[in-house]
Amino acid sequence: MRGLARYAWRSLVARPARTLLTILGIAIGVAVLVAALGVDSGLDVSIDRTVASMVGRADIRVAAFAETGLSAASLAQVEGVPGVALAAPVIERRTFLGSEAGRPVSTEPVTILGVDPSLEPRVRDLTLVRGTALAAGDGPVVLVTERLAASDAVDVGDSMVILGAGAPLRVKVAGVLAGDGPEVGSSGRTVVLPIRTAQALAVADGETMPDALAGISRIDVVLAAGATPDAVIATMGRTLSVEPYVLSVPRDVAATLRASTADVRATMALLAAITLFAAAILILNTMSMTVVERVRELGLLRAAGAGRGQIVHVVVMQALVLGAAGSVAGLLLGVMLAEVAAAWLRASGSLELDGPSISPAVLLAGLVTGLAITLVAAVEPARRAAGISPVAVMRVRADPGSLVRAHTGWLVAVVAVIGVVAVLLMPGGAADRSGPVRALVVYAILLTAVLLTPALLGPLARVVGLPFAAFLRLEERLARAAIRRDPSRTALTVGALIVGLAMVVALASVAGSARNTATSWLADVVPGDEILTAIAPAPVGDGGVDRQVAAIDGVLRATPLASFDLAFDGTRLEAVAIRGADFLADGRLVFTAGDRATALPALDAGGAAILPASRAARLGIGLGDAIAVASGAGLVQLRVVGLVDRSFPGRSGDAVLVGWGDAVDHFGVAGADSIAVRYAPGRQAEAQPQVEALARELALTAAPISRVAGAVADALDRLFGLLDLLALAAVVIASLGIVNTLSMNTWERVRELGMLRAAGMSRSQVWRSVLVEAGILGAIGALVGSIAGVAIGALLAGGGASGWSGVVVPWPAIGLSLVLGVALAMLAAAQPARMAGRMSIVAAVRGE
Amino acid sequence: MTPQLPQVPVTRSMFGTGTRPALPILEARMLTKQYRMPGEVVEAVRGVTLGVMPGEFVALMGPSGSGKSTLLQLLGGLDRPTSGEVLLEGEPIGRLSDSDATRLRRERTGFVFQSFNLVPLLNVVENVGLPFTIAGQDPRSAELAGRIREAIALVELTGKERHKPDQLSAGERQRVAVARAIVTRPALLFADEPTGNLDFTTGIDILNALWRTCVDRGQTVVLVTHDAKAAAYADRVFVMQSGRVQDEIALGRRDDHGAAPLIARLAQLGL
Repeated sequence: MRGLARYAWRSLVARPARTLLTILGIAIGVAVLVAALGVDSGLDVSIDRTVASMVGRADIRVAAFAETGLSAASLAQVEGVPGVALAAPVIERRTFLGSEAGRPVSTEPVTILGVDPSLEPRVRDLTLVRGTALAAGDGPVVLVTERLAASDAVDVGDSMVILGAGAPLRVKVAGVLAGDGPEVGSSGRTVVLPIRTAQALAVADGETMPDALAGISRIDVVLAAGATPDAVIATMGRTLSVEPYVLSVPRDVAATLRASTADVRATMALLAAITLFAAAILILNTMSMTVVERVRELGLLRAAGAGRGQIVHVVVMQALVLGAAGSVAGLLLGVMLAEVAAAWLRASGSLELDGPSISPAVLLAGLVTGLAITLVAAVEPARRAAGISPVAVMRVRADPGSLVRAHTGWLVAVVAVIGVVAVLLMPGGAADRSGPVRALVVYAILLTAVLLTPALLGPLARVVGLPFAAFLRLEERLARAAIRRDPSRTALTVGALIVGLAMVVALASVAGSARNTATSWLADVVPGDEILTAIAPAPVGDGGVDRQVAAIDGVLRATPLASFDLAFDGTRLEAVAIRGADFLADGRLVFTAGDRATALPALDAGGAAILPASRAARLGIGLGDAIAVASGAGLVQLRVVGLVDRSFPGRSGDAVLVGWGDAVDHFGVAGADSIAVRYAPGRQAEAQPQVEALARELALTAAPISRVAGAVADALDRLFGLLDLLALAAVVIASLGIVNTLSMNTWERVRELGMLRAAGMSRSQVWRSVLVEAGILGAIGALVGSIAGVAIGALLAGGGASGWSGVVVPWPAIGLSLVLGVALAMLAAAQPARMAGRMSIVAAVRGE
Repeated sequence: MTPQLPQVPVTRSMFGTGTRPALPILEARMLTKQYRMPGEVVEAVRGVTLGVMPGEFVALMGPSGSGKSTLLQLLGGLDRPTSGEVLLEGEPIGRLSDSDATRLRRERTGFVFQSFNLVPLLNVVENVGLPFTIAGQDPRSAELAGRIREAIALVELTGKERHKPDQLSAGERQRVAVARAIVTRPALLFADEPTGNLDFTTGIDILNALWRTCVDRGQTVVLVTHDAKAAAYADRVFVMQSGRVQDEIALGRRDDHGAAPLIARLAQLGL
């Protein structure tokens, strides 16, 4: 075997360009896989860190359901539950810091965490970098995070002013917490202070501070040894009766976070699998070409007594060398790509991600997958090579390669292996089980497109060749003849391009759909040109913020909005309190059932709700049905008076719409989270500065709708930019395949080209014919890929968490893929075209 | 056709003692090969019976399409007959399994083809030693290296051991092919139009090389050719026409390889 191993090695070395390009193709496929796995692991690590930061050592969290929070009575009940060793209350608020002389003015809000200094350290570590910790009985002293200390130029010993419902509170900085502190999602701007001090911030002027603790946002529970969360939760369910609450355990928090990242992970995993598919096509094509090129030698080896197994061994050894080299290179490339991907995702702001996590398991998975796919792709060419009969080879003088053309049907087996790898290795972050099914359908669409290509080659080549034929008739005819010479090879070459470009188009379609979904609610739902956001509930009604804004000349309407949660049939539903009359006047909301003229006033009258159609369908609720939702005093019946196409987006779908009266009377809504400001026609320019000045006075953040939409679009563009980069990896692999194929096609046609040259064809005509061949291949790839991409885009967009948003045909992306396909293919053909043009006529006719 | 001894005295005995074995080393009995084409059945070989004695140099001669190459492939075990039998050293080889046929080619037969005989990536020594490599043996071992050197010397290519095929002339490449075919000392050496792609002088070199293997080493050679001058090297010539052996011409072992007697006989046959 050693001797034939030498032959196998030399066979690879004899074609250095093809060997290197194939290795590069495998490397790119493995790199994308490693990057996807690394980012996925990194997200898991970040999520675990986040959960640990959020819940610390708490085993259970009891969170307030209503805006008013939990009372001391609830705290006492929690403490009394058997199995509870520790119940640490926390008050969490958002507010602003007051200005201080000599310090930069900060317009960014801060998160206030009011904790029990004696209990909190037993739940989580508050690591100080300087200063001292809070102590029980402390007065107005605070801990600030390092980031806040740096941005606002405060340090130990400095005083700060915290704005509250009443008079601003002056506090002293006792210590600085490491990093961003314990509160996730606060952008590192967190102030930790004693819980009673935090409670005082909620006391308005003229009110007295209650003796008992109140307004508790959450209670973190540490269990006694031997107690289990499930048992304690069951007891709490029977025991806690003062206010509505939500129970969660760390795994629930982690699951929620994982679910929020599921779409991105699943898409990255899908792209990794698609890239591996493209790499597998490249390998299958390359090994097939190698067999075709060496068919006489292999026949000779058979005639000299080599067995079928030895021939298989030769081909498999070559595949192993390619696979090993490509996989190792891919690991190195993948580590770098993972860093790039992680940095990109962080910059997009869409995910909390510290960095990729490249564990030995990830590297091993990349290595094994690269080798496995290379070997699987090489099996069929090896089998065909082993089937070479020495007699048949010697008999077929003109085109012995015709005995061993590639069988594209073997791609089914390759895809099956990739599918198995994907299932075994790919992230399971998505709770939605349809994810793997969707991925399989995507593979099926791509595989079908590739397998149909040989049958469609002729007509497709004729169609896409028309532009070339208009100017380069001879070259176009030669190119089409060359393409039809080996349909299976052409199909494999174009197949990789189809795969890559289909994903580019699909991602553009999904991005367009996501953009539409994300911004359509702004147009369909929000009754305003500008949104004023409050960090604490803003008073509404007489003397309220909405009346003050509406009083400004040029303002047509100021609509208060408040988000809260409803408990319905064991499910937590997001809800938004609205003023129906404002929405009716503004013409917002698209009703799919019910009459807007009666439904919106019914909200204001009370006892009614408007549901988003998708939510209603999931819950099995129809127009006219009554839903019983939990309130502080028991169950409240709300009659469904309308179904709308879109509502305000929530965590798990669009929100239920409830009237202000019901929200305040039954569900503890204390004020508006935001005010939608509608300007009178033509008056925005004059009224907007006054509105924004008032907003600053009232500690509201103003944002024009256009800016909100732009921010959403920007975030989506950044995220999809990364995914496009990964999809382009498959296109690059396809380009490598085109180089190989055109080189091979030129080699096979050397006698034919020599004869044409001898008959008077110029060098430039020869290389133009190769370029036109590449251009036609690229155009076929782009055309078929675009059709497949639109179908895949529709499939992926329909399965996202945000629901179906219709098919978006991304015409710009289709145009781009056409240009990209043709340009890349012709670029890849440059060297083979040059070789063909420089061929010696004498050597060519002799067949050397 | 009944196998016969040459009709002229053997000028050089293969065995030194003048003893001649009674059985042929290679026999064909009523060999037939049919190919099914669309709408018709083509009989490339029709009921051929012949025998080759050990150490003999025989030629299968005939025009293009006479079935000589097909017959060679059947005799060499490269292809299976439609009917009839091929016996090599008394053992039937016409219906061997693929693995047995492979072992046959590895151990008991050698082939020289008209073209594409060498592996371009291997040098002369490696090409000649290819059968040992395929058999899992180490061609660099003392014994096998000696045999390789001997085969290279026999075809007069000593000094060019490290040359790659593209550094050799066409004739030299074909001589390497001859060396490879004989290095395992096969029972039979089959040569299918080995001079077809060569000029006259170079072709003579190849034929001389084949003849030397026969004379110096007692190699049994079966040559397929359409060229009377090449066939004149043989001890016996089977003339083929339309898939049958039309005639058998015994030329005997001659040093001069003159083609005149053969050509005269062919003229008598109207060929």
